[in-house]
Amino acid sequence: MIFENMGFYIKEALLSFRRSTLMSMATILSITTILIIVGVLLLISINSSLFLKNLESQLEIVVYLEDNISKAELKNLKSNITSIDGIKEVKFVSKEEAYQRLSEDLGEQKDILSAIEVNPLPASFEIQVKDPKVIEQIANRIVEFKKVEEVEYGRETAERLLNFTYIFRRAGMLVLALLIFASILIISNIIKITVYARRNEIEIMSLAGATSWFIKWPFIIEGFLQGFISAIFSIIILYNFYFLAINKVHQVIPFLPLVVDNIDLLPIGLAIVLLGSFVGILGSMFSVGKYLDV
Amino acid sequence: MIRMFHVYKNYPNKIQALRDINIHIRKGEFVFLVGPTGAGKSTLLKLIYRGIVPTKGQVIVDGINIARLKPGYIPYLRRNIGIVFQDFKLLYDRTVYENISFGLKAIGATNFEIRQQVKKVFNLVGLEHKKKIKPHLLSGGEQQKLCIARAIANEPLILLTDEPTGNLDPYTSWEIMKLLFHINIRGTTIVMASHDKLMVDKAKKRVVRLERGRIIEDTQRGIY
Repeated sequence: MIFENMGFYIKEALLSFRRSTLMSMATILSITTILIIVGVLLLISINSSLFLKNLESQLEIVVYLEDNISKAELKNLKSNITSIDGIKEVKFVSKEEAYQRLSEDLGEQKDILSAIEVNPLPASFEIQVKDPKVIEQIANRIVEFKKVEEVEYGRETAERLLNFTYIFRRAGMLVLALLIFASILIISNIIKITVYARRNEIEIMSLAGATSWFIKWPFIIEGFLQGFISAIFSIIILYNFYFLAINKVHQVIPFLPLVVDNIDLLPIGLAIVLLGSFVGILGSMFSVGKYLDV
Repeated sequence: MIRMFHVYKNYPNKIQALRDINIHIRKGEFVFLVGPTGAGKSTLLKLIYRGIVPTKGQVIVDGINIARLKPGYIPYLRRNIGIVFQDFKLLYDRTVYENISFGLKAIGATNFEIRQQVKKVFNLVGLEHKKKIKPHLLSGGEQQKLCIARAIANEPLILLTDEPTGNLDPYTSWEIMKLLFHINIRGTTIVMASHDKLMVDKAKKRVVRLERGRIIEDTQRGIY
């Protein structure tokens, strides 16, 4: 029965678009607007997530070494550190390199270094970890190793940063969830209005002896099409404006990390299509059900 | 064809729409339901097509107890019942032809069957020359004919009409009545709620009089 009549259902859905062009256009426009708002928030959310990740990845452990460390001990220590779980990268900075960096950092004031006869700076390992949450644990383990003079990881800064990112992420998720919930309500209400406009048709079909699914299908297809078309429109608009916007942002803040890869943007597109289509389908299904009791 | 045993219908606002209704309408009968507004005529019609269920009592339509009918089977009951409303309930964004074919499509008729049936009802009610126009361009009488055409397109056993001549002039009303008699002669049971004294008296059919939810009179070849 369903597939036998699918052609009729699709034709009815399309005819309804043509019969009430203005209503359909208003519906698509409204849903598009809502989906754009959701899309903007999703874009902000993936970009701030990237920003937070970037911020967190800048947390590192610096292990200062004793001056009298031998080459064998150095090698041994490096392999010990590398074998700890959760280490991403270990970089050795020699005494000479440290001196070099300091003189570069000092710039024009590097003359003061000439007053010092021997290089006072220790050699070090700069360690990046995979998960910044375990940075303290790892630092505490490294301190135990031989020939380690001191371990530094900016404890307070790390704690504060992690706290901030945690709260920021949670708040973001909450706002996103609320907005998606609101958009579901708004879209299904918009759909409800289009169904309401055709309640006569539903009543007549029901009195003529049409089964409820026979009545529902054209509306479901129409709801799906309205949601889907709106989703496509909003994606096109969002995509163009997004790249325009990040160009502007990069002009002002060139080093800010932003999501520019199409692959990374794909989930947002999919989310918008799913949101539009599903709410279109479910919204029309429930709304028709309301007018079926005659 | 239609039997009611001790039927009561109360609406949620505690209005007793029908009280202890007992009626037997045989196959092929033509029955007028008369009585003042609020007497329960429309409620009685709604019970027949299962627009509502009785609060108490039994309603049997073509051997089916409508109170026990599962919602999934309601469409199949309704395929045996044509309904004509005073306010037409036409689809004004579709043509005359589409208004008739719409209901047939809704019950799963093939395109061939639809063409055949629509042709048949056009022969009966006229309107064929207007099949491509929209209903708002039709006169009141023509719109009512279209409603009747739609209601009988699938050849139902029962035709329910709720004041079909309510908005029409006497001449047009009689045209509609003649059409209904014609349908009745072909075997369709017709139940017609009416206020139209002129038509009821002229028709000389069975008249069931309702007052405040009760049947107070039931006469063959009755008058209003």
